Amino acid sequence: MIQTLPHSTLLQYVYNELPPERQREVEEALQHDPDLASTCADLLLAQRALDGVRREPRPETSEAILRYSRTFLARS
Amino acid sequence: MDLLQPSDSALISLYLAGQESAFAILLERHRSRAYTTILLIVRDEDVADDLLQDTFIKAIHTLKSGRYNEEGKFAPWICRIAHNLAIDSFRRGKRTPHLRLDDNERLANTLTVADDGPDDVLAREETHTRLRALIQELPAAQKEVLLMRHYGDMSFQEIADATGVSINTALGRMRYALINLRKKMTAHSLHHYDSNLTPFDPAPVCIQRIAS
Repeated sequence: MIQTLPHSTLLQYVYNELPPERQREVEEALQHDPDLASTCADLLLAQRALDGVRREPRPETSEAILRYSRTFLARS
Repeated sequence: MDLLQPSDSALISLYLAGQESAFAILLERHRSRAYTTILLIVRDEDVADDLLQDTFIKAIHTLKSGRYNEEGKFAPWICRIAHNLAIDSFRRGKRTPHLRLDDNERLANTLTVADDGPDDVLAREETHTRLRALIQELPAAQKEVLLMRHYGDMSFQEIADATGVSINTALGRMRYALINLRKKMTAHSLHHYDSNLTPFDPAPVCIQRIAS
């Protein structure tokens, strides 16, 4: 089946960049286009994987930043 | 907007009014994205921690001197600072990129799923380590857009403006970045991250997009 929406629109959709009326258009298309839905699922899986890669700095780093901020306030 | 969660703009106003706790919330809210952006560029945890400090120190100076003018878009702003500092650092090449993969203490600090066994946690961390390596293999332009959009929270239009390309080019690069990553993950059998998902069923499709 020919996809009813360009991939670029789908990409903006999964990254929540479309206005509400365009979002509804995409959601309507997803219900009737299995290929588009499959592509969307792939994008969401990639997003999920990328979320898992996120890392936190060492606690001491955050503490040092907050300490600097407090010192800066005290100086100013 | 969640009414229980103050906006970044509100937190900045409170911070400038002397509420130090508001800055602590801003830091907690944005440090992970900024740190991940930096780490995926410099590939050295010590350098990334140093650059995260530099990033927020720069932000503190800008905020307190009254030069901040991002109209509430704190996330893209802080991540742009992080991205630029990381690129500068990487180009200077003062340190050899080196990921410490065996830092158990560090790993323990990143655990967020309490009911997973140690084997699950280690397998997931190994998957994430390999995925980070796959991200490094992306063409530079694709990697740049991916970092800016996914971790930097910049819109595709903001990325287009920042990199001097059209929005369609930015979208195309992101699309190929994700396609390439999915291919590489499949080729390397990185499936641990989606082990809770059932095989794809076209209908109905449950959409869970990331928050903007």
